[in-house]
Amino acid sequence: MFLATKLIEQNARNFAPRLASCHCRKLSTDPHASPEIDNDEEFRVLNLRQVQAQARPKRVIKKDVAAPPRANKMPVDQDWGAVWPGPKTFHPASVPLPLRQGYTEKAAAPPSKYGNAELMKIPNFLHLTPPVIKKQCEALKQFCTPWPKEIPSEEQWNKHFPMEVITTDYCHGLPTIRNPLSRIVTIKFKLSTLKLDKHAHDKFLRLVGERYDPETDVLTIVTDRCPLRKQNYEYAQYLLTALYHESWVTEPWESLKSEADMETYHFIRNKSKVSAEEILNWGKTEGGKKLVAHEAFGKSVENLMNEGENEYNIQAYKTEALKLLGLPSLKSTSP
Amino acid sequence: MLRVANSIIQNAIRNPIQCERGLQTTAVNLKVQSGRYKVTQKRDFPLTYEMANPPHYIAHRKSWNSWNTSNLADGLRSAETTIEDIFIRRFMTGTWHSLVCSEVIIKRQHNHIRVAAIIRQGVPARKMYFLIGYCEELLSSWLQCPVTLELQTVADKKDVIFKYI
Repeated sequence: MFLATKLIEQNARNFAPRLASCHCRKLSTDPHASPEIDNDEEFRVLNLRQVQAQARPKRVIKKDVAAPPRANKMPVDQDWGAVWPGPKTFHPASVPLPLRQGYTEKAAAPPSKYGNAELMKIPNFLHLTPPVIKKQCEALKQFCTPWPKEIPSEEQWNKHFPMEVITTDYCHGLPTIRNPLSRIVTIKFKLSTLKLDKHAHDKFLRLVGERYDPETDVLTIVTDRCPLRKQNYEYAQYLLTALYHESWVTEPWESLKSEADMETYHFIRNKSKVSAEEILNWGKTEGGKKLVAHEAFGKSVENLMNEGENEYNIQAYKTEALKLLGLPSLKSTSP
Repeated sequence: MLRVANSIIQNAIRNPIQCERGLQTTAVNLKVQSGRYKVTQKRDFPLTYEMANPPHYIAHRKSWNSWNTSNLADGLRSAETTIEDIFIRRFMTGTWHSLVCSEVIIKRQHNHIRVAAIIRQGVPARKMYFLIGYCEELLSSWLQCPVTLELQTVADKKDVIFKYI
């Protein structure tokens, strides 16, 4: 069947041009109409049957091929500071190190640096390698001034600047530069740097209470009640000034302090002095020169009363008492 | 005060239902499910390293996806930071649609936000560069601080698969 139609088509093609040309010569008056029909290849075929269309070539999607990691091409003596100039998330193609990160069971190798999110999470210090730090320090040197010659040692420095002011600045990983805790100001200084007499010293210590550390002789004032750091610093300065001047003031009621109000034992003000001197001056006439208990004895009694009874204080008291009474000191120390 | 207490007691006596108390005697089901994946029968479910380690391994086997100071003790702006981070994550996964192969890592330094992620090489490089600029520009205008996208690309999604369960 197919062959038959093919033959018919062939015949039709063979006859058609001849017929057409004849027809043209007789009927057509237009000379331009003929050349199209002359071309026998252009003659369209009536195809009644569906012929399978030729498969079109599939459109090839051009995929960009990613460049190989540049870490492979890096020379050994490159300037690393130029490759990694600032803080940045880890990128495996820029770091020529065979890094691995991650936990694996069964002693398998940890995941490599490619496609490894763990390496991207941890903050890295690849921008702060020792040569880079050295270079940055060199660059910063021009802005530095030499240490002043007047304060070479820490002693000198403490002498000229007795007060220490401590404040804290907070850095956040947040878009804020404020922290309420940065308002707190602490000032510290040695109490010996203040000029105080005995009464003022005593009163000063009573006023400051627990802020004074007797072991290190350091007074600490912490101010945090104002909203700003400057206000707190000024308040601390005010407190210090007020404390100093207040401690120098002697109020009229302070003279009423009796023996019971004394915070420590004073030999001079006590019965023990009177008794010791009574013993010393026993049997002496009224007009004669009165003996006075020597100072070392008073000191030993004060130590015994203030610091409490311990072996050392009792021993000192014993020797001083013997000395007071003019008795020979005993060789053996055991009681 | 006493009168009020009296009226409450009287009310309770009248309506005994009000003063009932439930006592639970069954065992508490302390099942934790979040961040854990079930093993499939064919053992063909892909897991990334992040998914393979459940949340209790944070700081042991894997680290945090958000790095900031509000999750420290007495940290400031914790609510705002959390909301912003969720927004950034959603924006990133939506903008880089079906391209983000890992969790979106958000690191904050002062007011600078660094957003890191692993992206599949599914779109041409030109589009990627456009999307990077687009994300940085929009996020920084919304969050009012500089945003940097620091991406790593992988050729295929399988490159980030740690294991199959």
